[in-house]
Amino acid sequence: MILGRVIGQCWATRQASRLDGQKLLLVQPLAWYDPDHQADHLVCVDPVGAEVGQDVVVCMGLPARLAAGDTRTPVEASIAAIVDGVELYPDTAEGPAFAFAPGRAPETLRQNPGAST
Amino acid sequence: MIRGRVMGEVWATKKAPRLAGRKLILVAETCITAGAERPTGRVVVATDLLDAARGDTVVVAFGSGARNAECPGSRDVLVDAAVVQIVDGSSTPGAD
Repeated sequence: MILGRVIGQCWATRQASRLDGQKLLLVQPLAWYDPDHQADHLVCVDPVGAEVGQDVVVCMGLPARLAAGDTRTPVEASIAAIVDGVELYPDTAEGPAFAFAPGRAPETLRQNPGAST
Repeated sequence: MIRGRVMGEVWATKKAPRLAGRKLILVAETCITAGAERPTGRVVVATDLLDAARGDTVVVAFGSGARNAECPGSRDVLVDAAVVQIVDGSSTPGAD
């Protein structure tokens, strides 16, 4: 799944019939994700009730269609969870160093006290 | 599937019903070049049933493979990345 932040919402009157009643949120990934097409953000259906500014976990593919209804729903991404906290283990001696892209660290990021950043 | 290292955890109380109760961990994909393990910058949130500890090297499956790791044969779980193996050892001859 993908860690991202809700940056907006989109709604429409003329849309595919199966999208009626679905809340669509714009999510900007905080870490890597592998889109089929080059994209800066994702549009996800929201069965959980996230708001703009919250960090979320996004699931792609068939489960997203099931979360939004059935396999005939024209969606590809769904919000799976609203993040309360993200903990990055400190740079353990053998662990890979990792830093979120500038300006894209989750708000609720908590580095362990032993973190060397 | 990718091989990566467990580097963090994600807590979420509000989850979609199809993801309820599953532990979410952050896995950073790594590759072995010149004998040293190097992160490739890819980070995935994966569900974890094998209780991978901090710093473990794991294999993460995607898509329907991940769903089969969670509950085999079911399409009803909201997962597209799951830990399927905690790696004890791996060899990449010629890469070092």
